[in-house]
Amino acid sequence: MEFGESARIAVGALRANKLRSFLTLLGTIVGVTAVIAIISLIQGMNAYVSDKLLSQGANVFTIDKFGFILSDDEFRDAVKRDDITFADAEAIAGLSRSAGAVKAEVERGDDVRFGATRLRRIPIKGVHGDYAEVDRTELLEGRHLTASDMARRRTVAVLGYEVWEKLFDGRPASGYEVRVGDAKYMVVGVAEKKGSAFGQSQDNFVIVPLTAWQKTYGTRNSLSISVASIDQASFETAQEEARAILRARRGVAPGKPDDFGIVTAETFMELYRNFTSAAFIVLVGVAGISLVVGGIVIMNIMMVSVTERTREIGIRKALGARRHDILMQFLVEAATLSLSGGAIGVLLGIAVALTVAAVSPLPAAVSGIAIVLGLAMSTGIGLLFGIYPAARAARLDPIVALRQE
Amino acid sequence: MAASEPLLVFRDLTKFYRVGEEDVHALAGVSLDIAEGEYLAVMGPSGSGKTTLMNILGCLDTPTGGSYRLKGREIARLSDDELAAIRNKEIGFVFQTFNLLPRSDALHNVELPLIYAGLGPKERKERAAEALATVGLADRMKHRPNELSGGQRQRVAIARALVNRPSIILADEPTGNLDTKTGQEIMAAFEAIYEQGKTVVMVTHEEDVAAHAHRIVRLRDGLIESDRTQEARRIEGPGAGSAIGRIGAAGD
Repeated sequence: MEFGESARIAVGALRANKLRSFLTLLGTIVGVTAVIAIISLIQGMNAYVSDKLLSQGANVFTIDKFGFILSDDEFRDAVKRDDITFADAEAIAGLSRSAGAVKAEVERGDDVRFGATRLRRIPIKGVHGDYAEVDRTELLEGRHLTASDMARRRTVAVLGYEVWEKLFDGRPASGYEVRVGDAKYMVVGVAEKKGSAFGQSQDNFVIVPLTAWQKTYGTRNSLSISVASIDQASFETAQEEARAILRARRGVAPGKPDDFGIVTAETFMELYRNFTSAAFIVLVGVAGISLVVGGIVIMNIMMVSVTERTREIGIRKALGARRHDILMQFLVEAATLSLSGGAIGVLLGIAVALTVAAVSPLPAAVSGIAIVLGLAMSTGIGLLFGIYPAARAARLDPIVALRQE
Repeated sequence: MAASEPLLVFRDLTKFYRVGEEDVHALAGVSLDIAEGEYLAVMGPSGSGKTTLMNILGCLDTPTGGSYRLKGREIARLSDDELAAIRNKEIGFVFQTFNLLPRSDALHNVELPLIYAGLGPKERKERAAEALATVGLADRMKHRPNELSGGQRQRVAIARALVNRPSIILADEPTGNLDTKTGQEIMAAFEAIYEQGKTVVMVTHEEDVAAHAHRIVRLRDGLIESDRTQEARRIEGPGAGSAIGRIGAAGD
């Protein structure tokens, strides 16, 4: 018997018992909905995170005193290390051949004021070197800080988009003086809007020359150095060069670990992936349980269906249906049943993911793979749990089956 | 197949059922030949073994002992699937309770044997429609069983029995659920089938029904009590109407 006939019978049987079919499918629907929603949200987050982490550029790494700290012990050790200094940054810029752009930065929150408007605890970044290149900062108006600004400790500033918007209400700011803490800085430029990442604005900052920053806040702050390698291929080499230079400068004996940390976007990606894959496994496990429960319900209802249609099976067998034909018929019916549950689940899952994305900062990305996975999984469940009822139907003795009222 | 051998040969056919501790002999050794083109009635009181004989004849059941050859082929020891194939190809069943699929229309019900014979949808529909036309139901193809009268349902069943051109039409009390007039119509249909050269075996306990057959085999206690040929009663009057006069055309 061809597949088309089996499918026709299956659809007919489902239509004849619409409510029962739907109730039967609840488990499957919930399971597939969960899987699709979870996968969509996680993939959405993956895309978002990698997009944001790499916004600085895939070939940028950052060196600081602490590196990537995961425990209190590590932190206590790291505190004792020497600060990263201005001279360290200069050394890397001067000696590393693979370093394309080098930036040294230090940051502290302080109030920023213009006229009657005061913004509290705005990150004030003191920068030195090729900050615009490393951070890919574009300007809305004015100019960047120059090497001469930095060398001469000029009290000039580039405002982040959000700071500018709040202080200047959309009017040109270049040439005006703002107050940063107690010091006066002249605005020379405004950065373009970068948007937010992980719920945090990336436009809330004031950039000033590191030299000027140190004049205000002192020199006793460890710097972070960001390096963009000249190209993607030399990314690893640039890290090795920077490492060698710093170890030499800081007198780290061979065989001892670095007394500084190198962090790349990949470091964060790895941490993020570890976290999400754990969450992913747990959530898929939960969804898997509901699918198995759904499968058992399908098996149960297929047993009912076989019992109800014993006479039909007898008629079909009398007319020449072989075991295989009856087996196929009920397997296709079980698969059709669970596939329709899967389809409903896919639609609901997408709806849930999009709703979550709409009302929360979490993004969602519905992928074809997730949909195919959801449908394949539900069909597989139907087939798996349909085997036993279908085999029972196939084994029925036609005489006994025909006698059934 | 030996040229001389009848269509259907039973030799010392036995069938035991185990009920509790005891063996029940439903058939205690039946030998019977049925030639092609015969119209035979099997009679007997309940418990005589006629249902068992009919199940074995229809390849729904296998005998405990003895031999059953259909068209020269020994089929007493075939597997389930082999029996299914023979039922599909050689046997056309007509049941007392019609046994139509309630959710399928007449056309699809008649198509069923052809589906299991592996025919394509187009040819199936054509042949099923043709078979329905020969029983006078060309205008009822899209009706479901519950939209048809008892006589019409049995005619759908007859069309279904004929559609795959079987060697034997096997009818089990085909008029048992019908009123007298409708029963007459159905008997006329069987007569038409017989006249087209088909072999008809009918199981019944009604003398009136058996009277239409040319040969009556009576069973008692699992054995043949009598086996005689007779002058069959002919259907006369309006029952033998034109609608069923063409029966058998679908069976070549």
